[in-house]
Amino acid sequence: MESNDLKVMFYLAYKNLTKSKITFMVIVAVMAMSFLSITFFASIIDGLGYEFEEGMIKGQTGHLMIEPHEDELYITDSGDLVKDIRRIPGVVGVARRLDASAVARYETIEIGNPVLFIEPENEKDVSDYWRSVIAGEYLSKKDTNEMLMGANLVKSYAAEGDTQKRFDVDVGDKVTLSFSNGFVKEYRIKGIYKTGSRFVDDKMMINFDQYQLIFNFTDDIASNILVSLPQRGVEDSYAEKIIDLGVSKQINRWQTKMGAVNQFVGSLQITNQITGTIGLLTAFATIYIIIFINVTNKRKQIGILKAVGIKKQIILGSYVIQSLAYGITGVIIGNIIMKLLLFLLSVHPLSMPIGPVVPILTMERLVTTSFILIFASIVAGFFPSRKAADENILDAIFGG
Amino acid sequence: MERTIIKTKNLERVYTTGAVKTYALRDISIEIKEGEFVAIMGKSGSGKSTLLHQLGLLDKPTKGSITIGGNDVINISEKERTRFRLNELGYVFQSYNLIPELTAIENVYITAMARDLKREEYERLAEEMLAAVGLEDRMHHYPSELSGGQQQRVSIARALVNKPKILFADEPTANLDSASSEDVINLFRKFNKEIGQTIVMVTHEKDEGEKADRIIWVKDGLLDMEKLKSI
Repeated sequence: MESNDLKVMFYLAYKNLTKSKITFMVIVAVMAMSFLSITFFASIIDGLGYEFEEGMIKGQTGHLMIEPHEDELYITDSGDLVKDIRRIPGVVGVARRLDASAVARYETIEIGNPVLFIEPENEKDVSDYWRSVIAGEYLSKKDTNEMLMGANLVKSYAAEGDTQKRFDVDVGDKVTLSFSNGFVKEYRIKGIYKTGSRFVDDKMMINFDQYQLIFNFTDDIASNILVSLPQRGVEDSYAEKIIDLGVSKQINRWQTKMGAVNQFVGSLQITNQITGTIGLLTAFATIYIIIFINVTNKRKQIGILKAVGIKKQIILGSYVIQSLAYGITGVIIGNIIMKLLLFLLSVHPLSMPIGPVVPILTMERLVTTSFILIFASIVAGFFPSRKAADENILDAIFGG
Repeated sequence: MERTIIKTKNLERVYTTGAVKTYALRDISIEIKEGEFVAIMGKSGSGKSTLLHQLGLLDKPTKGSITIGGNDVINISEKERTRFRLNELGYVFQSYNLIPELTAIENVYITAMARDLKREEYERLAEEMLAAVGLEDRMHHYPSELSGGQQQRVSIARALVNKPKILFADEPTANLDSASSEDVINLFRKFNKEIGQTIVMVTHEKDEGEKADRIIWVKDGLLDMEKLKSI
């Protein structure tokens, strides 16, 4: 192909694009909408999955969760270990917890439930419970007869029609806890928390020191120690640093402690892949059809150009350039709108039952979607224009 | 001595639909001299447009030969036929067939541009051609902003901008009113007289045919020998 052929090719493409502004705008709008329909839904699902994981990290596991070996019940010397880990540069927070279960009783209702013994101030660095108090107040270190209760245990926060057994309590009411060793104590509800995650909103929280009183322990024990890190993805390097401190306990990454959430998020991701693929195929077909119709309508024009001596490659190239222009412009506009939506939704997140959800658009999805839509537009421009350019001149001009 | 510019021998064009063969042209042997203005006439369906399409390399005959300027134009590649149409031939169609996205001047210079002329040169040629057909004040108008007669004049300018050996016109006045039709035929006559342009025109209007130097009559795909003898 000669350089002059390219010049004519671009000239014809440019004239077609600039003269047929409405066609251009319609096709670009379809491209942009296709881009949005694929990426926006996927980003909500990704955001939802992220929020589920964050809920678990900030409620249950931290980024790292140090646990005793399988043959041990507790981590010993936990106070010193917390101090040592806190000295590691970059560590955001460290908090230890003790787990137990108790039968809680209020008036005639009795519910067997997990009890979490926490250090209220340290806990603030690794979890979001303190931010999730929706009634009353968060625990303080001095609270020896107070507890925090998860909203899932409280009748007034249950969804309409929910028949699960719950306490008809409010802040200030007293609930009696009976532990497995026979210890019984009454605790006043100081606050009710709700994170939005059903996996963590069913706990009762009591001050860490109470465990020693209840179970008559004098050792410095903990069921687990949660470590909060600056961000996800750095768990391995911090786990190594903790091992370097001489810690021989189990150091679990949050991913390994997700349990049912992992399955749920995994299912979401598979659903996302399926809907994403279907969305891409639909967008591919839509774009193909629209550009196909556009090029097919230019069949006569292609015949005229051939008749007056314009090379087939020039005609074909000019239509591929036009399609490429539709594709690139549509994807760019789709990207801009998507970025604006993501910005708006980061300021005003979507309100969902699990809490506020901010859509997440991964670079991989953005690149894949952009590439496939541009590819679809090239294919959609190439085949019908090649068909028209290969056609007999008279058939193209007069319709045959 | 006038040179023969088009020569056909035993030209045949058959359309096959399943087992049915339709002979659009049969045994057409004609010669057209350089600088001649020839009209091809005949009834509807006689094969006159089909003949023009074969001569203008817009279609390929199923049998026979065509030489233009001494060159065999049947047994050449599609690429060479395209180059031949661009450099040696010009076309005027019944329904103008201008590119709607291009202005009058752009429609005229697009083929000159494809010949790798410099911008100043192809613009000058297009301006000259549009002025020659009386459209110097309509150069930057789109086809949709021009009347039928004006569009056909743009089409004539486009056909002549590359100074073709032969101008082919397929019923160029069929869609025009009588005044515009006369303008178009007068333009053909003018270019034929002034620059010696060879013109082959299909028409069914007798008075237009009579303005040509010669009429080739076609009937049922064959040359109408009776009418040819009677002239």
